[in-house]
Amino acid sequence: MKVSFIRNERGNVLLCAVCTIFVVSLIAANVLLNCTARYNQASNQVRSWNEALYAAESGADIAYNEVRKIASNPATAFSAANGWTTSGTTYTSGTTTFGTNGLRTNETVDLFYSDPTSGNAWYRIRSKGTSPLQGLKRTGMDDRLSNGNRFAANGATRGDGDTLLRKIDFKYDHFTATYGPTGDGTNKAIVAVSPAPQLSRRIELIASPITPFDDVAIKVTGNFYGLGSAAYIDSYRSSAGPYDPTVKTKPSDPRYVDSQSGSVQIDNATATIMGDIYGNLYTNGGTATKKTLNVHGTIDNNVPFTLDSFSIPTYLPAPQASPSNVNANTTITPPAAGTARAPTMYLLTSFTKQLTINQNGSSQTYVAIHLTSDFTGAIDVKPGVHVQFFIDGNVDVKARDLINETGYAGNLQFYSIPPADGSSQHININSPGDLVATFYAPGADFTMNGNPDVIGAVIAKSFYGNGNTSWHYDRSLDSLGDVTDYRIASYVEDIR
Amino acid sequence: MKLTHHSHQSGFTLAEILTAMAIAVVIFAAIITASLAMQKTFNAVDNYFATHIQQIRIIDYLNRDVKRALICTTSADQQTVTLTIPKYIIQSGDAEAVSNPSLVGAMRTPTISTTTSGFQVNYGTTTSTVVYSINGASILRTEDGVVTTVASSTDSLVPKDSDTELTNTEYSTMAVTFLPIFTSGNAADERTGTTVFSLAYLRNKRRG
Repeated sequence: MKVSFIRNERGNVLLCAVCTIFVVSLIAANVLLNCTARYNQASNQVRSWNEALYAAESGADIAYNEVRKIASNPATAFSAANGWTTSGTTYTSGTTTFGTNGLRTNETVDLFYSDPTSGNAWYRIRSKGTSPLQGLKRTGMDDRLSNGNRFAANGATRGDGDTLLRKIDFKYDHFTATYGPTGDGTNKAIVAVSPAPQLSRRIELIASPITPFDDVAIKVTGNFYGLGSAAYIDSYRSSAGPYDPTVKTKPSDPRYVDSQSGSVQIDNATATIMGDIYGNLYTNGGTATKKTLNVHGTIDNNVPFTLDSFSIPTYLPAPQASPSNVNANTTITPPAAGTARAPTMYLLTSFTKQLTINQNGSSQTYVAIHLTSDFTGAIDVKPGVHVQFFIDGNVDVKARDLINETGYAGNLQFYSIPPADGSSQHININSPGDLVATFYAPGADFTMNGNPDVIGAVIAKSFYGNGNTSWHYDRSLDSLGDVTDYRIASYVEDIR
Repeated sequence: MKLTHHSHQSGFTLAEILTAMAIAVVIFAAIITASLAMQKTFNAVDNYFATHIQQIRIIDYLNRDVKRALICTTSADQQTVTLTIPKYIIQSGDAEAVSNPSLVGAMRTPTISTTTSGFQVNYGTTTSTVVYSINGASILRTEDGVVTTVASSTDSLVPKDSDTELTNTEYSTMAVTFLPIFTSGNAADERTGTTVFSLAYLRNKRRG
């Protein structure tokens, strides 16, 4: 028998090397797996969750833009051409896709409240934003928290950590399955999401109407000069009682909070302020001169704004057959009480004498007048009558010619419609007499002479008044008049 | 039988074996040490990442609630934030739910009221109170008494909050830090290096 010995046996070295590589590879794989999962969560999931809110808020902006058209150009609001469908007073958008990450948004807008005084509508905007989830279909690694399920299709039984916050729809829409597509608990269904996975967030905004005389006594886009050095502007709330001149200096009085809204807002750098202002003073990059220390509220020189032009409201009914002018003293009693949105309408071609407007029975009576020329006459508004006076031309009257027997400025509202050709327009209120009225004249120069006692508000292109006027802004004007714009008054997120 | 002996048949000497074993021990020691170091490094990085994710979660939770809040108040030690939030969803125990239990979970239609500061949109007659606080190693979110652990870490997560009131609104800032499990000796600097900062405005007009 011949025994052979094999030389150079080196297998153990190779084995050691393989084992070492295997161990190191295991560690590396573990590191890679964990890092990928952490990255997936910290980057992709967080990003998508935040982008879903961006999408929802972008959708809300789209809807808000449509709501604003109701004030500026109602005929174009929620048009089918822009993808909106209308059902009664509910408007539903199509799906808007935007951004490099394929964000989507859908909105629903509905009229949920009408102001009983002005008839102005409040709108509710519901917007849903969806962001596709990039990366892995993985839940988080909340190993620090272990109180419940990491993921559950039913949103109400979700567990903890990120799944409780971000609510990723990996395969099915948890919201539709749990609360229904509109969130009201109806029509619940298991609906697959596409693309999967994705994240959705829902917000609800309330758009409230901005009325012409909202929270400001005098508001002009151009020059401002006034009032007299012994004048003052304060405020009160007529619905809380009659005006009391002592309240503005008595902080202990419960009505004091309503006495400090005699604000002046000027979209101009030039503002000559005199007298006391029991309210705020705003300019656009300007420096208020003279007795600015007598502004008892805030002075803010960085408040630019624009005034929307004004046109006759489209909801007004057809005018009455007569009168067609007031060239002789005239008294009218409207045939119906009407409402703020459906007043009795009169179309006048000239107005040089006095018009007296009586109440219809004992009902609050609503009247709208459209004058297509200058106003140089007089008007007497009897108690219980609410007048909106739309004027195409200029106004040249004495304060005593504007008789408002109701005592409420909101019951005599003047609207100057800016000339289409851009020519100048003016409103001159001369002495003697006091004034209880409001003026919305975005294209007119407003001048007030004498020392009248004024209850009301003026919105104009410019203002000049050098008298020692005592001016009282009525905070009840906040909701009166036709809507000029909308603001967002509330924001909530449906976090289910 | 004839045995054949290969010429040059040789083994290792004792000295060679001892030298080889010594070298092998050193190599294996290095491999094991490196493996342990890698494992510890991995743990440190993994822990850092995990805590960082919790930082983000704390901030995302708070930002979500601040945006929909009506009031935001921070305690003097900057570690407790109290938020007043509209009750958008009808909850068990609410007035509507007592008279009609089927309404639990339904969305409220808001009502409008007039206050001294103007119009106000109300979701129900009451509001929810949400409190963010620290309890040991955990960050808690308590909404009307219901506690949720938002984050939990042994790395000493510390949120520092502040709120600034403006004319009509308010904003809240939050900086969340933690102390990594491995530090180079200057814990303060290590903590500062982990700062995640955020700022969120109330979307609603501030009340109160």
